[in-house]
Amino acid sequence: MLQSATETVNEDKQNPTSVNDNLTELQQKFMETAFNFAYNALAVQEVPVGCIFVYNNEILASGRNTVNETHNATRHAEINCIDEVNNFCRSKNLDVKKIFSEIDVYVTVEPCIMCAAALYDLHVRSIIFGCKNDRFGGQTVFNVASVLNPVTEVKNGYRAEEAMNLLKEFYKGTNPSAPLDKVKV
Amino acid sequence: MSCPPKKIKLEQNTDNQFYPVLSEEFTEPTPMIDVYIDTVTDPRNISKVVVELNTVLPLPELTHLKRIKGKDVLLFPCNKDTAPDMVCEILKKNNFDISYLKNNVRTMSVAEIAPKTRKQYEVVHKLWPCNFHSNKYVEKLCTNTLFSASEIESHVNYMQVAIDIARFSKDPLSIAGVVVVDPKINSIVAVGFDKRIDNPCQHAVMVAIDNVALTQNGGAWQQVNARLDNQASLDLRGIPDDILDVLKKKYRNLRFGATKFKGKCEIETPSDGPYLCTGYYVYVTREPCVMCAMGLIHSRAKRVFYGTKSENGALGSLCKIHTVKDLNHHYEVFAGLLEDGCKKLKQK
Ligand SMILES: [Zn+2]
Ligand SMILES: [Zn+2]
Repeated sequence: MLQSATETVNEDKQNPTSVNDNLTELQQKFMETAFNFAYNALAVQEVPVGCIFVYNNEILASGRNTVNETHNATRHAEINCIDEVNNFCRSKNLDVKKIFSEIDVYVTVEPCIMCAAALYDLHVRSIIFGCKNDRFGGQTVFNVASVLNPVTEVKNGYRAEEAMNLLKEFYKGTNPSAPLDKVKV
Repeated sequence: MSCPPKKIKLEQNTDNQFYPVLSEEFTEPTPMIDVYIDTVTDPRNISKVVVELNTVLPLPELTHLKRIKGKDVLLFPCNKDTAPDMVCEILKKNNFDISYLKNNVRTMSVAEIAPKTRKQYEVVHKLWPCNFHSNKYVEKLCTNTLFSASEIESHVNYMQVAIDIARFSKDPLSIAGVVVVDPKINSIVAVGFDKRIDNPCQHAVMVAIDNVALTQNGGAWQQVNARLDNQASLDLRGIPDDILDVLKKKYRNLRFGATKFKGKCEIETPSDGPYLCTGYYVYVTREPCVMCAMGLIHSRAKRVFYGTKSENGALGSLCKIHTVKDLNHHYEVFAGLLEDGCKKLKQK
């Protein structure tokens, strides 16, 4: 992981589409909120990924991983946010499809293959993520876009090193609910 | 001429002809590489030539290949920088005595990596002799002879249950059913049917995964139902009450429920106690999408059986998520189980 973290940083410096320098102040504020959720996840021994869904410049959903809490390995921050937006739309009788298509996703770590597929299928407008996900990433490990041809715009690189350090911090400890031989090393 | 082959297959129940969905490394021909070869002048020198070449020009990437085929000897791989007329020079530069060879350099296509299956081996071995370590399990998978008759019957039964579950799906346009089985105790742990009309993530597989979580004191989508019977030997919370009643009536020989969940402090050995979908078989009426296929990887399912292919399927159609090398967990996939019955669901 150490090695790939350095790679990520180097790549982002060379990458002209990196959002490091061109995130607006408001976007940086949204990312800050996502990071708060990631720190919160680390504090409760969940994989430190934080995520917010923004609609019309307002935060519609926010969340973190709850895999250990729910004993369900699919409860990633993004899936929790999708649930929240879905509930919101239904309670307000809004068009779920339309709302999702205008959502911008801010997430500290590259969405995994599962979450990338879920977000692409919902046609979310954009995804801005921090660091790459070299275990499960929906671009890095398997490029989901190559099979789903998404309309979603994807950017990355903002506070990547910090997001990666959070992950490293987590994996230094052990996953509290996994039996010993299942703990990720 | 020869007799036509007997048509045994037609007499078998075609529903049972499900098949493994394997990684390309098993199904595709072995990748090939071009090498230079030459002929040894005097056959009595062959072993000397092999020893010499292995010393001055060892081929660590091609150790699966024999150095010699009859009187022909494998020199080294071709590449852009070495034209055939340079081969002699290169040999000389490496202090190889070229008088052993006829100076009849040719190129030859050989296996770039060791073959993984007997079928691949038989093809590449004819071109150039190579080593092959047969793996019994892989051979059974590749020849689709893994399961005994009684195992096949069991898989068919569980898929039949999945078809029944699929009929509970909420949207007639997306019908799918899932049965999660613990093969260790031969029992249905959880079921799921499509509810995406309520929630875009509630595909049958994702619902089933969350229902498995219910049996482990977790879950995100359902209220944990109060049916936990402390006297019962198995945990029935992964199967909704109304469905359990229907299934129990129809399938009197099947078992229902999960091994009871143990908290972290109760677990003595690491492999003890349920953890996510570890060790579980998942029966899905149609090929899971990318999200669901990856959800099953995260959940550490052991085997996935599906009935009919999907346009957006990620276990054979669009891609094969279960064969992505860099993932930390892989499950086996079998397709075409009760395909006709599953197809009919889709059209309804
Ligand atoms: Zn994810
Ligand atoms: Zn799905």
